[in-house]
Amino acid sequence: MVEFSHLTKTYKKRNVVDDFSLAVDVPIFGFLGQNGAGKTTVMKMIVGLLQPTAGAIMLDGKASCDVASKRRMGYMPETPYFYERMTGLAFMRFCDELVGARGGNRTAHYEALLKRTGIYEARNAEVRTYSKGMRQRLGFAQALVGDPEYLFLDEPLDGLDPLGRREMKEVMLTLKKEGRKIFLNTHILYDVEEVCDEMGVIHEGRLLYAGSVKKFCAGKPLEEQFVATVIAQGKT
Amino acid sequence: MRNIFIVAKNTFKLELRDKILYGIIVFALLYIFFELFLADLVLKELPMVKSFGLTGIYFFNAIIALFLGTTSFFKDVDRKVVYFILSKPVSRAQFLLGKFVGLCAVLLLTTAILGVAYLGLIAYNHGGFDALGLLAIVMQYLEMALFIAFALFVSTFSSSLLSIVYTSAVFFLGHIVSSLVADAQVIGITGIQYRFVQVFYYIFPNLEKFDVRALAIHNVAVPLTSFAFALTYAVVYVAFLLAASVWIFTKKEI
Repeated sequence: MVEFSHLTKTYKKRNVVDDFSLAVDVPIFGFLGQNGAGKTTVMKMIVGLLQPTAGAIMLDGKASCDVASKRRMGYMPETPYFYERMTGLAFMRFCDELVGARGGNRTAHYEALLKRTGIYEARNAEVRTYSKGMRQRLGFAQALVGDPEYLFLDEPLDGLDPLGRREMKEVMLTLKKEGRKIFLNTHILYDVEEVCDEMGVIHEGRLLYAGSVKKFCAGKPLEEQFVATVIAQGKT
Repeated sequence: MRNIFIVAKNTFKLELRDKILYGIIVFALLYIFFELFLADLVLKELPMVKSFGLTGIYFFNAIIALFLGTTSFFKDVDRKVVYFILSKPVSRAQFLLGKFVGLCAVLLLTTAILGVAYLGLIAYNHGGFDALGLLAIVMQYLEMALFIAFALFVSTFSSSLLSIVYTSAVFFLGHIVSSLVADAQVIGITGIQYRFVQVFYYIFPNLEKFDVRALAIHNVAVPLTSFAFALTYAVVYVAFLLAASVWIFTKKEI
């Protein structure tokens, strides 16, 4: 379970994440919000790239930025950047070494991940030759290194073509069947409707809703409800 | 320790793929081999050949250290590659120390290449094995390791361009701080102004402690205490710089 308690992040006296409390314990949780709503900031705090100004994030009762917690999580940043002169395979090997996973055939492990995310054919090409979609796939693949129980994916479907999006969503659903838990940041409503068990809506750093997608929609299209919720918040 | 080694190994491999580094090494080797002609020009006068060789290694290693120290770490942070690394079970201290060890390993390799070329050239010019020259190169390497640590330190809070400016300035200051105090005494500066010069002297690294080129060129033995002092000075100063860098980087929002 991922628990956020009174999480706050302040930049120049402005709360970009404001007293955010939430407990997530579903296979796929969609975190929805406009650009700049605070989704990425929350995710960066989960993986320890940013320090909260106040509050805490726990992963099964332990601080999420602890080394022990980090061993159990995979993270894919928004718009992944790589070492441009490294090959996809070399990058996976580097990530595998950092995760410190042992046992079995390690090369076979990350080659399987490259196959799973559809980037295997380009494994020996340098990353600088990759398209945006290929980079997204490699970013997704590296998050899976070490078989993490929790996956934190920040806009993983950005830059993918329709077929690529379909493939990645299928990968997420397969991961769900394997018992992994996914925390998915997105601003694409359709993705949430399609793959998420529960969702949260964040706006200007505040959590407006957390619960099932169906309940949020209340028989209306998700887009309509999302816009209505955000506009209603703006008026208060 | 394991993570430091992994980051260091990766840094070493990546930097060796950099064409700019190769360019500098090729220029340095051309410079050293140019001495073959120079040696004839100065009638194989060994001190001249040694002087050009050791100064050349020093100059090109300084460029390499400046290039590596101010770009490698900054690029990783600026281009957000650190997001992948630091989201894994790797601490910021391990990452930064790994970068330092990796860059020092690259510098060790370039120093070894240039050093072998130099020693070969001296032997070719009937100078035999230049043990003092080797010691001068080792001490230059210590200075460059300190130089890299300083560049990394500056990179934790400034841009790559500013790091080049600050690090170059400290490189220059590091060679004049020891004479600053002496000059202040000769001129007769006293009171608060003299204290200011002293603070300057103690804050900035004294890079002259690593310069034994003049002794090596003229075959004057370098006292063991000088070497031991330079080694200790480098270790302590580097440790201080790295500790400060880790402290700043740990607090940095990335």
